Parts: sequence; C-alpha cells; structure tokens
Amino acid sequence: MANAWKIARKSNAQLPLVIVIALAVVLVLLGKAQSGLFDKARAHVTDWMAPALEKVRAPVAGFDRWVGSIGEIFTVYEQNLKLKEENARLRQWRNVAIVLQGRVGRYQTLLHAVPDPKMNAVLARVIGRASRPFLQTMILDAGRDNHALPGQAVVDARGMIGRIYLAGSRTSWVILLTDLNSRIPVTIAASSGAPGNIQGIMTGDNTANPTLDMMLHTATLHAGDQVVSSGDGGLLPAGLPIGTVVADSQGGWRVALLADAASSQDVEILNFSKPPEALPATAQLPADAAGLKPMAPPPPPVPVAVTPPPKPVVVPKPIVAAPRPEPAPADAEDVDR
Amino acid sequence: MATLERVAQPRLRFLAGLVPLACGLLAVLIANIPLALLGGAVPPPLLALVPVYFWCLVRPDLMSPAAALAIGFAEDVLSGGPPGVWTLAFVLTYALVARQRDSFAGLSGAVAVMGFAAAAAFACAIAWFTVAGLALLTAGAHLPPLGPIVSELAMTVLFYVPTALVIGWIHHRLVGASRGDI
Repeated sequence: MANAWKIARKSNAQLPLVIVIALAVVLVLLGKAQSGLFDKARAHVTDWMAPALEKVRAPVAGFDRWVGSIGEIFTVYEQNLKLKEENARLRQWRNVAIVLQGRVGRYQTLLHAVPDPKMNAVLARVIGRASRPFLQTMILDAGRDNHALPGQAVVDARGMIGRIYLAGSRTSWVILLTDLNSRIPVTIAASSGAPGNIQGIMTGDNTANPTLDMMLHTATLHAGDQVVSSGDGGLLPAGLPIGTVVADSQGGWRVALLADAASSQDVEILNFSKPPEALPATAQLPADAAGLKPMAPPPPPVPVAVTPPPKPVVVPKPIVAAPRPEPAPADAEDVDR
Repeated sequence: MATLERVAQPRLRFLAGLVPLACGLLAVLIANIPLALLGGAVPPPLLALVPVYFWCLVRPDLMSPAAALAIGFAEDVLSGGPPGVWTLAFVLTYALVARQRDSFAGLSGAVAVMGFAAAAAFACAIAWFTVAGLALLTAGAHLPPLGPIVSELAMTVLFYVPTALVIGWIHHRLVGASRGDI
C-alpha cells in the first residue's frame, strides 16, 4: 500500500529521535510522580467536550440498545416468565424487609444507637464511557460546580459503581470498581447467617468481577455471601451494596457486582463526609477519654527518710485502669512476709 | 492531479506540511470520544497510529519524531490511562518503523496490513510493559491483564484499511508524494 507513492529516502530528524525518546521516558516518570498535571488537562478537555457528548449520547445509546436487543429477541418469552417469577419472589422479600426495617428502628430507639450519617446526593447523567486497556471509566455531567468531588461514591439503583477520581467544573470521571486501579475496603457478610463479618479489600483487575483479598487469611468465604462497603478510612459510607461472592476458577474469590456500569444511565454521587473524631487531650488518661468515672487520686508518696531505712519501703502504685496481673518482685514478697 | 503543496504559495505549502500532524490529532480525538459502542465490550482502536505509521513511511520529513511525540501525548491526555504510556509507545514504534522503512515500505496488499499489525503489536507491547513496570513500583498493584490490550490490537488492525484509505486520499489531495516534489 505504501509503495504506491514515491518514498522520501531519509528523514531529516535522526538526532531528535533520541531526544524525543528520552522526553517520552521522562514523561512516563513525571506522570508517575505528578499525575495531577495530566488530570487537570483531562478535566479541561472533558468540560470542553461535554456539550457535544450530551448531544451525541442519545443516538449512540439508542444504537447500543438496538444492537443489544438483537440477541434478546429470541429469548423474550423465557425472560418474561423468569422476570414474573422473580418479581413475585421479590414482593415477598419486600414485605419481610418492611417488617425488619420497623423492628430495627425500634431496636435503635431502645438502644440509643448512633444514627447513620446523613448523606446528600447529586443526581448525574452518564454522558460518556471508555473501556480502554488500562482504564475503565465513565464520565458524568456533574462536576465541582455541582459539589461533586474526587473520592465520592457513585451508585445506581442496584449498587455501587465506582468513585469519582477526577472532577472538572462541569464533568467528572468515575473510576469503576472493575478498573485496575480500584481498591475498596469491603465487609463480607455471611449469607448462611453465621455470626461475624469478614473484612477485605476488593481490587479491580479490568475483568467484570473484581478480586477479593482478605485481611484475615484464615477466613472462610462462601459463594453468595454479601459484599458491602466497610467505610474504613472514612472516605466511603459503610453498607453500600456492592455484590456477592463468587468462586474463581483458580480457587480464589471474586465479586459479582450488582450494578452494571455498562447500562447505567442516571447515577447518584453520594456526598459523604464523616465528621472528624475529636482527639483526646494528650495528657488525658485512656479511662477518662473512654468516658469512665475517674478513680480516687492515689495517696501521696511516703517521704523517703534521710537515714537509710532498715527495709525497702514499697510505694503503692496508683491504679488507673484494670491492671494486668503481674508477678510480684522477689523483694516485695520478702516484705510481705 | 497537482497537490496543494506543489502548486500553492509558501504559506499554504507550510499548512499542507501540518496535515499529517493534524490528521494524527484528529484521529486521537475521534478514537477517544468516550462513547462505548457495543456496551464497551471492545476497546476503541488506536486510530492515531495509522497516520504515524503511514507518513513515517511515505513522508518522514512531515511526520517527525516531535509530531509522533505530540500525537502520543494527545492520546495519553484523552485516553485517561497512566500518563506517558502511549507517548513512549508511539515514539518507539516510530523509531522502529523509521529504522526498518525499506522493509515496511516494500510491502503491499495483505502483507502491508501484516506490516502494520507488527508495528501496532510493538506499540501495544511497549504500552503493556510500561504499565506493568509502573504497577511493579506500586505496592499491591496487579499486572494489567493481556486480554484488553490484545482486543485493542485486533481493533486497530481491523480499522487499518479504512483509515489508511482515508489518509491516502488526504495525502494525494493535500500533501504530495515526496519531498523531492516540493
């Protein structure tokens, strides 16, 4: 194909090639150290492209739906039966959930439980998606002007999709839970009703099902266990539904996500900011910090006589909190005798 | 048909010399419009690699290493991946193609597509190894999976022929055959 034209025999830029390669290497290292410069440029470009993306979005989404529905034409009848059955089952569960919700509310009132932090949410529309080899993201039409900030969780009606990692003035980029760089602290609740939750880290690897790394390696998981956000670190709210545990073909565990980022059109950006916990004063004792009643002040120490005493005097130590039993020293035992 | 570069004024000739760079940047923009057809099942092709490859063979005086660097940088900014990865991949692919110009330029027909596929595979390999190297520097990071980069390579090769036809038409109409014609 290329030999259809006369070929210029030699490039006039052999020397710059070495310099340009060196520049590219520097760019990689600079990007690793200072990725904020690239992020700002991306945010500006996306803000600039946002009106065009919103206009193009409708026909592309329509085409996508049309292509996606071709295969479903032949299974409509089976799907309809399946959905009716599932709907009936979910109605039963809804009644159970309403009863349980009322009971939990009464228990919380009786126990004076600390209420869950209130969250504001911004409703945003998905105006772009990108599934690149090294990045899986979606672009929303809400940015800093709408109080969307990096780190905030993005959810749809089914569960968590990801979190914002780059916010422009009118648009924001979401790093999906499936992305290679996504790491979310999660809690795994046993579906069998076994007591105790397991803490872990859910890590994306650009496949549909992120992997699970357990904090406690002896923990036992079962397929079907529920995965929710743990809220560790205070960046994400606790209890956001994420997915269920599924077995890996290689003997590990993965998470089947509830939300489908490929089909979500409208999402919520959760504005969660946990109030910072007040630190106790540095001189405050642990028992006081925990709200326990302070104990009686210790007796004043016995003044040491100028002349050397015949026996060593044992000064009682003030007891602050529940002390651990310690073996008495040998000389103290002698004194007691 | 006389090309714009041969007959036009020096100023227009200068503008015609910018066509390869402009085509590369336009290809970056088109390929990185964040609209996932087929539900994101396949990644978009590396359209910008086609003008870099094409003009590196046909008019290396117009597709300079600096132009390849600029196109790779634009790909990095718009694709959203780790910064600098595609810049390095494009520049090293340019260096490979420039060094083996006689071999690549002598190909025709289906073998020419294979030549481009080899160059694209080189670019994808550079990108994957760079990301893998960056992942090794990060504690607890996973190596990138091979599936998505192989899909991107396949899509790039699939789109080579239509893109090369468009670029060939632009080259005939606006740029000109060789430096000797200027």
